[in-house]
Amino acid sequence: MPRVVFVGLASCFGCQINITNAEAHLVDVLGQIDLRYWQLTHSEPMPEEFDVAVVEGAVTTEEAVSTLLEVRRRASAVISIGACAATAGIPGMAAEGYLTRPVQVYGEHVPEACGTMCAPRPVSSVIDVDFEVACCPVDPLEFVRVLQQALYGSNSFRRTSTLCGECKRNERGCFYGRETLCLGMVTRSGCGARCPNLGRPCNGCAGLSPDANVPAARRVCERSGVPVARFDEALEMFNQTNPAISA
Amino acid sequence: MSKTAISVDHVARIEGHGDIRLVIENGEVTSCELAVVEPARLFESMVRGRRFEEVPYIASRVCGICSSSHVVTDLRAIEQAFGVEVSDRTRALRELLVYGSYLQNHATHLFVFAAPDFLGHKSVFPLADANPELFDDALSLKALGNELCTKVGGRSIHPITAVVGGFTHEISSGEYLELAEKLEAAQPFALAAVDLFNDFDVVDVQTEGDMLAMVAPGAYPVIDSDTARFVRSGVEFDAARVDEAVEEYAVGHSAAFCARVRATGAPYMTAALARINASWNELSRTARFAAAKAGLRPPEYNPFANNVAQAVEIVDALERCAALCRRLAEPAGAAFAGSSEPVAFEVRAGRGVGFTEAPRGALFHELELDDDGRVLRASIMTPTAQNIANLEADMRQLAGKLVSAGESQEVIQLEVEKLVRAYDPCLSCSVH
Repeated sequence: MPRVVFVGLASCFGCQINITNAEAHLVDVLGQIDLRYWQLTHSEPMPEEFDVAVVEGAVTTEEAVSTLLEVRRRASAVISIGACAATAGIPGMAAEGYLTRPVQVYGEHVPEACGTMCAPRPVSSVIDVDFEVACCPVDPLEFVRVLQQALYGSNSFRRTSTLCGECKRNERGCFYGRETLCLGMVTRSGCGARCPNLGRPCNGCAGLSPDANVPAARRVCERSGVPVARFDEALEMFNQTNPAISA
Repeated sequence: MSKTAISVDHVARIEGHGDIRLVIENGEVTSCELAVVEPARLFESMVRGRRFEEVPYIASRVCGICSSSHVVTDLRAIEQAFGVEVSDRTRALRELLVYGSYLQNHATHLFVFAAPDFLGHKSVFPLADANPELFDDALSLKALGNELCTKVGGRSIHPITAVVGGFTHEISSGEYLELAEKLEAAQPFALAAVDLFNDFDVVDVQTEGDMLAMVAPGAYPVIDSDTARFVRSGVEFDAARVDEAVEEYAVGHSAAFCARVRATGAPYMTAALARINASWNELSRTARFAAAKAGLRPPEYNPFANNVAQAVEIVDALERCAALCRRLAEPAGAAFAGSSEPVAFEVRAGRGVGFTEAPRGALFHELELDDDGRVLRASIMTPTAQNIANLEADMRQLAGKLVSAGESQEVIQLEVEKLVRAYDPCLSCSVH
């Protein structure tokens, strides 16, 4: 039985919690794996040997870097889950001027318990990642699908298209017609446009799509009465550490 | 001269990363710390300069379990700063959203995190084999909490629909009624859970600190009051002046701030137990009877009773939410004035303190916004950050008691871990 471990870095734990929210499927999924270490549910230390590592959270300390190097050395496959792990996500918003920030929160004496802090970055900037589950938080069933892929293999490739196409097929109209900013034009598809379906514009939690045409999206903003500066600012929420937008 | 050190790296079955460091010398507990080593994400710094619309979305990410509470608390802070009055319907939906997270949080804490301790397991999974019916019922209850959050907020974690002034989406009357039926159907198991946790033996520890909870006349409030009360001293304060009543301070071994009563320097606990102590009379009849049967009556200062208190709150929440859903199912305007559509408002400079009772206790978000609605200053005080100092005092008392009774190191370690879990700490919340 494949041996799987879960490792949590800087995050809200929401992705791990959401995986336990696959209630009906949870025991079925867990029946296929030997869950060596899931700190959220076990009181055992992390084992020496395992096959698959599931990593949640962004890298924000030197200690996390060492953990990841160790995880990569032992695991044959690494799955990163959620925006924090994939793009540095919300923690990544603090990346700019990071080293000036602890003092803003704690004052002069930053507790030693904070560890050796470093600017937030995605897991893939430290180690090779074999599979990624996007979004904030991950969809539990999408995680199950990717886990199956890691365990049993699959020929399917990750989607690269943008959310806009998915959303249009839902026929709910477009926020840009209402002078409202939405990041669907440049964000990776796959969630089924969950937020726009409920009347809320996309905040880009799946990260920038490799197919995104950011300059064209900026022109759409201009045409639609949405300030380009607002669009760029909104993109920072999940893409602060993505070199493609800083250009 | 004897010296014993008890050290637990990464306490299991709590949310986030924390270590226990306990030193016993010649029969005396000389040092007792809960080291909170969760990575700091620096939310208060991160949101500076961001526009108000983004701030609740970002604040939600403080915590995956209590995301509903962080969103609602942040919305309250912004609405206070802008002077926005939301409709009764919006308030009802927010209450449902927060209660959904109570059900999910309490069920997860009680059955996945706490119960294995008392049943002699290392994780929840042996429970699935040993008592599949209990395991299934517990998972169903957690699923029901998630369903409530999903129906109201769009998903179980990090709600989508709750925005400044109202909600972007609502479910149909039929769906509200269906929810009401499911909530009512879960009541027998919730009542059984109170009995189950009442049957577990706990060490007699009496917290010496105070307790803090939101209060309102004739209500068991969770989102709708600005008054907080220290249960023991009886001192009340307005949430807008929380920084005068409570002092936050940093210690080296915790990446989370600790908190104490500013006037006395005493630590305090905020949790389901504090709420029940503060508003016992306002629990639903069924919940109050269940609590009384379980021997949980105010004043109750044994922190282990927080487990039973959470079970009682599940009973209370099921009844309250079912009633709310039935009222929400009535035709527009019949039970609640106004709709939940976001109300119009003007962006202006101001300060607001959002205050709610999160599943784990009192939660405060303070925001100062400029006239463009951008954050000048933010301060978040979570239940767990408020609890750390009191938890450490209780750990010390418990360990001292067990040492005097001649208990083994293994017993002391397990009991101290059980105490940590009874507080249901959320360390990722506490550090943020």
